[in-house]
Amino acid sequence: MRALLAVYRAQLKTSFLMYLQYRASSVLWLLGMILEPVIYLVVWSTIARANGWAVDGYGVGDFASYFLVLLLVNHLTDNWVYYEFEERVRQGLLSPLLLRPIHPINADVAQNLTYKWMMLVVMLPTAGVLALVFHPTAHVTWLSLLLFFSSLVLAIAIRFLVEWSLGLTAFWTTQMSAVLQVYYVALFFLSGQMGPLALFPVPVEILALVLPFQWMLAFPVQLLLGQVDQRAIVLGLVAQAIWLCLSLALMTVLWRHGLRRYSGTGA
Amino acid sequence: MSMRYIALLRRFLQLNILRELAYRGNFYTQIFQSLLSLSFGLLGLAVIFDHTGTLNEWHPAQILALLGVYQLVGGVINLVIQPCMQQLMREVHQGTLDFTLLKPEDAQFLVSIRQMQIWKLCDIVLGLVVVGIALAHLGATVGAGQMLTFLVALVAGGAIVYSFWLMLATCSFWLVRVENILVIFQDLYQAGRWPVSIYPSWLRWTLTFLVPVTVATTIPAQALIGQLAWPTLLGVALFALLTLVLSRWFWLFGLRHYTGASA
Amino acid sequence: MGHSCVIDVCDLGKHYTVSRRDAGLKAALRSVVRRATSEVVAVDGITFHLAPGEIVGFLGSNGAGKTTTLKMLAGLLYPTTGTAMVLDYVPWRRERAFLQQIALVMGQRNQLQWDIPAIDSFVLNQAIYRIDPSAYRRTLGELTDLLDLGPLLTKPVRTLSLGERMKCELAAALLHRPRVLFLDEPTIGLDVTSQRRIRTFIAEYNRRNEATVLLTSHYMADVEALSRRVILIHRGQILFDGNLRELAQRFSSYKTLTVQTPDAVSSLASFGEIISAEEGQVKLRVPKAATASVVQRLLEECAISDLTIEDPPIEQAIEQVFA
Repeated sequence: MRALLAVYRAQLKTSFLMYLQYRASSVLWLLGMILEPVIYLVVWSTIARANGWAVDGYGVGDFASYFLVLLLVNHLTDNWVYYEFEERVRQGLLSPLLLRPIHPINADVAQNLTYKWMMLVVMLPTAGVLALVFHPTAHVTWLSLLLFFSSLVLAIAIRFLVEWSLGLTAFWTTQMSAVLQVYYVALFFLSGQMGPLALFPVPVEILALVLPFQWMLAFPVQLLLGQVDQRAIVLGLVAQAIWLCLSLALMTVLWRHGLRRYSGTGA
Repeated sequence: MSMRYIALLRRFLQLNILRELAYRGNFYTQIFQSLLSLSFGLLGLAVIFDHTGTLNEWHPAQILALLGVYQLVGGVINLVIQPCMQQLMREVHQGTLDFTLLKPEDAQFLVSIRQMQIWKLCDIVLGLVVVGIALAHLGATVGAGQMLTFLVALVAGGAIVYSFWLMLATCSFWLVRVENILVIFQDLYQAGRWPVSIYPSWLRWTLTFLVPVTVATTIPAQALIGQLAWPTLLGVALFALLTLVLSRWFWLFGLRHYTGASA
Repeated sequence: MGHSCVIDVCDLGKHYTVSRRDAGLKAALRSVVRRATSEVVAVDGITFHLAPGEIVGFLGSNGAGKTTTLKMLAGLLYPTTGTAMVLDYVPWRRERAFLQQIALVMGQRNQLQWDIPAIDSFVLNQAIYRIDPSAYRRTLGELTDLLDLGPLLTKPVRTLSLGERMKCELAAALLHRPRVLFLDEPTIGLDVTSQRRIRTFIAEYNRRNEATVLLTSHYMADVEALSRRVILIHRGQILFDGNLRELAQRFSSYKTLTVQTPDAVSSLASFGEIISAEEGQVKLRVPKAATASVVQRLLEECAISDLTIEDPPIEQAIEQVFA
């Protein structure tokens, strides 16, 4: 265990140095992540203003608070390593990672966490500035804050595992771009990136309950804003715990089978 | 003189078609992805119009037209502008731009047309289909004049987008490692799905004057639905000429730096 | 010199400013605030001239300034100091007529399209260089014969071996019959057979077309096979410009004596440094100045059946220069 911690410390330092080198690129990547919630914030606010200042109970201020919290939670749960998997498999870049005595996922975890922490330096002030522009309204209590952080940790873990597993499909298909696009479309609608799930038709809401997307993103956001009643809080946390186990199982299974396939065709 | 450029363009087109035909699987994937992308747009529209009748005075059919233009212009960008500029930046990074510079043809011309992702034609076709359907729904008579303004707006918008991408790619002569600088446009282009008038003034200004999204999507769409005023069209056309000149100058400036001339 | 020179270089120089950064976390953070730079001199005022139809080998270790010089002569780089004229053009003005008459081939760097057969890239070059269809066919036929390209042209370039790819690259570069050919390490990474074949081709091409060839290499064999004239460049400066043989003679301060004798090897140790010893044959390294006296003593004191005096191999001569 101590050895693993030492590896993490070294890994974190290397990632930090790397991102420092690529600081311009690192900040550029944030642009899309900041812009998208702003776009939909504006779209929904426009609708709200034209329809009596609210949509299904969501006022302009509510939309602002929803999307700004979403902005931060999305940043903290976001991953990009699945984009690189296609190249990793195709060009045999996975092989040096496999030669190491630890699971390759650790390197990705370290890099992922480093980036998110470093970029909070940009994201938090940005959210602050946007708050000044869009005037969010929110009722945050100590309880909701506590629940939020617990749920956030679960959400980060679930999303990382699911998306890392998504990357593993590169072992089986060469049309990764199509696979990733399907995932992205599902994620966009069902994780609350387009808007609060309550605004969607009922069938979509049910679908969102069953799939992991809501538990990766929308749930912590709603917890913080106090938009979930007690029974739903409990159900939600249980759902997150279940999905954590499911995603861990999925990752393990896919990794084992994928690796067999990878080494079969020659690394 | 222009015959030469057309002849070369045809050659490059042949070359790129040959290259893509070597990977036929990509065709089916592209159709799938184009349809998926369109469905994504339509689903979004459906959700929005579930809650409202108009979006900032844009009716559903008009927003549909905008979506069609968004898909169409996106297809044109991904067909030739994006692959060429990405290739340019890669070559600057790897030092293989030299081969292009050795050729006895204008380097800007060569780097701007040589790479084409032929299958992106699917996006263009789908975009046109959506535009056609939207126009049918609008029931409005689209006269020759309106068609002409639409084409002018499209071409001007395309020219501005090309100049912008070229200028971004030219930056790689100095900032060799910023390969994903092109993502600036791709991220902001998402805002083009919706009429630019809904955005707060600072964002509207950014999308019009900093990153050319408005001229690529909203303005041609407005021309299509008959809401584009003559002065605006003229302004856009002039802006297009200006940006073409500016990007050419910047390219030559960057090239002098790349070859080590003290600027 | 004037117009009898195809390549005319005068005091050509190239300096670069590069940013430096030391390792470690503190240095990384410091470099965010302040960028340290240092100046690198790639080429330090060199002068040489090439006559039409000459093949000249440009020798030097890595980083000596060979590729930089070649790039300046091809017009890809502006020099910091000095002038150069190629075919009476200033290269870095990159005039169309100039580019139409030169070619630059870099070893291990491809300009052919990866996924399609080489012939399709050739057709593109024909369009770009405005090659007349009949001239194109003639040149292509000649190149196919000389390089033995036949079956290679219709296979996708990515399926070719490195040697086959290099041959196609050369062909692509010569379709427009350039008068000046710049070759940057053309045989690097190739197997011995391919290397030999490419050398033969270049020699033949030069003979048939009177093309001027300037090639860089750090393989001695390239230069020995192709050129009589060698320019030695080290740390951006020209150390030697002349005949290969002269190079060996000037830069080597030793001579190699091959002695055939039945005498025991150890008895020869006093005459010079023993390089190798076999049954009845010993190779000695002797300081040049002492050659005559050593030979005299050998003939007097030993039973010699055969004696040869040679210059040491060129590699050694060069190695000594770079030492």
